[in-house]
Amino acid sequence: MTRTTIVAAAFVLAASTAMAGEHFGRESIEKSGYQGPETCEECHPGTAKAFLDTVHWKHESKVTNVDGIDPKKPYGMKNRIYVMCNGNDIVNNLKEIPKSPETGKTKFSGCNTCHPGNHLSDVGSTGPEAEKAIDCLVCHSSDYDFSKRKPYKDEQGRIVMGQDRSTKAALAIGKPSVKNCMVCHEAAGGGYVVKRGFSFTKDTDVHAAKGMVCVDCHKAKHHKIPTGLDPNNWANDGVRISCADASCHGDKPHKDADLNRHIAKIACQTCHIPRTGGAFAKDFTVWTQTADKFYEPTTLKKEANETTPVYAWYNGTVANTPHFIGPKGSRKDGKSKIMPFKIFQGKAFYNAKSGELLSMDFAPPMASGDTRGGVESAARTLGLKNPEQVAKSAVPGWQTIYFGSNHLVTKGKALSCANCHAPNGVLNFKNLGYSDKEIVRLTTPELYLKQLVEKQKEEW
Amino acid sequence: MKKTISTLFVAAVVALGLASSACAEDVKFVGVITKIEIAGKDAKTATATVKDNGSGTPVLVTVNDDLTLDKFKDHRIVEGDEIRCKYETAAGKNVSKLFRKTAGC
Ligand code: HEC
Ligand code: HEC
Ligand code: HEC
Ligand code: HEC
Ligand code: HEC
Ligand code: HEC
Repeated sequence: MTRTTIVAAAFVLAASTAMAGEHFGRESIEKSGYQGPETCEECHPGTAKAFLDTVHWKHESKVTNVDGIDPKKPYGMKNRIYVMCNGNDIVNNLKEIPKSPETGKTKFSGCNTCHPGNHLSDVGSTGPEAEKAIDCLVCHSSDYDFSKRKPYKDEQGRIVMGQDRSTKAALAIGKPSVKNCMVCHEAAGGGYVVKRGFSFTKDTDVHAAKGMVCVDCHKAKHHKIPTGLDPNNWANDGVRISCADASCHGDKPHKDADLNRHIAKIACQTCHIPRTGGAFAKDFTVWTQTADKFYEPTTLKKEANETTPVYAWYNGTVANTPHFIGPKGSRKDGKSKIMPFKIFQGKAFYNAKSGELLSMDFAPPMASGDTRGGVESAARTLGLKNPEQVAKSAVPGWQTIYFGSNHLVTKGKALSCANCHAPNGVLNFKNLGYSDKEIVRLTTPELYLKQLVEKQKEEW
Repeated sequence: MKKTISTLFVAAVVALGLASSACAEDVKFVGVITKIEIAGKDAKTATATVKDNGSGTPVLVTVNDDLTLDKFKDHRIVEGDEIRCKYETAAGKNVSKLFRKTAGC
């Protein structure tokens, strides 16, 4: 039988097996075992090659909505320099860090552990070897043994990122569950919900409570996973999603016309995501020693839903300077909406001459707290002139980042009239560009008294 | 009537409050897991031994929440991991209310 006939036959049969909720390829994999993506390619030809062209493999893409960068060049976690991570896949490449002077022990560390390759075929690699290295199962298996997904040294002394390639794992194929996505997204930025501050459980998100999973919204074709316009999520596969997409809620989701009228100026997230969480400040210039005697960036953080967002007008374009990454927009541009953001401030080293933010290789500071050593190593990797001098003269400074706040959705705790239209409301109308006269009009119970009295009657 | 209910309610809260401060105060600590005992795929509970970084003494923690149990089962959390834990002591057991790895990427 030719490959095409196998596939054709498979698809015909799929219709009947799909109902049982079991992956059609199961029997074949059970017979021949799992050899990696080649096994899947028998019935899903071209998948691996296409995957190499996605953000999840490349950690970068061209970015057209951000100031101060070259629209012809790719940007992402591979090469960006900002203060949530300060390292990136290039300067903080996975390696064995120097021995701790106190314990003589070492460990593996690197940004590119959040990548579905094996490190030998690393972020952005191409060709047949890269295709073979993809960890399909980390996103598709519900029976993955994560103790295998960790770095180790092979016989040749190369650092390899392990994978579970067992047949057992390959027999449990399905569309990605929350867990599959959260393998990487939950601990991004250096620990539980540190980076984005969102968990996705029945207690923290209405969609999770309804049994929805990440890919019910982030529906992907050819592995191009859609994203939104978070000012700090630059790399994208050219596909976007928004709460107001017609396929989700559309732009008139409420029975209450008063609420629907707000949608022209106020994003859904503003009312439906009243809280945020995660890290709100980090210091990369001084690391803190932990119990194992290694060091970690000094970090202040909270749980999901434990901090309040900031509100700003946002038109989808992004201001980007060494000291600020955040939304652009205004009340008057006709395109902006008021949106909530998770605010984060980080301290790191700046180039004394150019004022640019410098990046850091985590290996030196992690071993001994030597943060300038980390700056020097990164400067050397990036080919800066005189790395030693760059590190020695570097000056500490702060950068403020506005992260999108797009999960932790609530219905019951959604902001209501009086949360905003009151003198002590959550929105700072003055900062948002409203005149004193308008503010008087916007902060009176006149706007909602009748309505809320009716509601109050219903409640009691 | 309304008043009686609220008085009763206050009394109940006070009573509970006293009871809990006697034996059920949350304890928080950071430590390294030395042992995880879990009885198979369908287990509804597990016991982890965690060496408290502060005191160096091993603490036995009972874990009942599904999310953490699942992380034990598929080895997202394994022996040797450092974790942050909050527990409450009830019926002689330290029942976990939060059990999270400290590390990330
Ligand atoms: C013997 C053929 C065969 C093999 C081998 C095979 N598949 Fe499939 N797979 C199918 C068919 C047929 C379907 C159903 C048609 C479809 O949805 O595209 C399917 C569906 C899927 C789906 C969609 C599942 C869903 O519930 O939406 C995923 C994901 C998938 N396969 C991944 C894999 C991965 C990963 C491998 C390698 C471990 C693999 N497949 C190996 C035949 C196969
Ligand atoms: C980063 C996570 C991730 C990795 C790694 C991954 N996939 Fe997927 N895959 C997805 C997502 C997301 C979807 C879309 C699910 C949806 O929209 O229902 C998908 C869908 C699929 C489908 C269904 C048909 C389609 O193309 O939409 C197949 C088949 C598939 N993947 C196979 C593979 C194979 C083979 C590999 C390894 C070469 C792989 N996947 C690696 C996330 C991943
Ligand atoms: C192996 C680690 C890993 C897994 C598994 C993973 N991601 Fe990601 N994801 C990343 C990294 C790293 C980035 C950041 C890339 C960048 O900005 O350069 C990212 C970015 C994204 C983005 C924004 C950029 C884009 O591609 O649109 C979305 C949305 C996303 N992931 C959703 C998902 C979903 C949904 C799943 C589960 C199907 C998933 N991820 C699984 C590591 C992972
Ligand atoms: C109810 C739909 C929905 C679900 C479920 C969902 N997301 Fe999202 N997600 C969105 C929307 C909408 C955006 C973009 C919003 C915007 O920018 O306007 C987004 C944005 C993102 C981004 C870009 C950064 C950011 O926070 O804006 C990442 C990464 C992401 N989602 C990952 C995930 C992961 C991982 C899961 C599962 C744990 C998940 N999402 C579940 C709707 C959803
Ligand atoms: C001005 C604040 C505000 C904005 C903006 C807003 N909502 Fe709501 N929304 C609410 C409130 C308050 C409720 C709860 C109403 C209730 O409990 O009856 C609600 C309820 C809902 C419901 C549940 C409806 C039901 O009948 O159960 C959905 C779905 C919803 N909103 C979606 C959206 C989407 C999508 C957007 C953006 C297009 C949006 N909302 C924008 C305040 C808002
Ligand atoms: C998230 C905060 C928020 C919530 C919640 C909210 N509003 Fe508003 N509302 C605004 C803002 C901001 C404006 C001004 C929009 C603009 O620039 O056109 C506004 C405008 C109005 C206006 C027009 C006022 C004028 O004179 O221009 C009315 C009426 C109003 N809201 C009533 C309500 C009622 C009734 C509710 C509850 C059902 C409600 N609002 C909930 C923020 C909010």
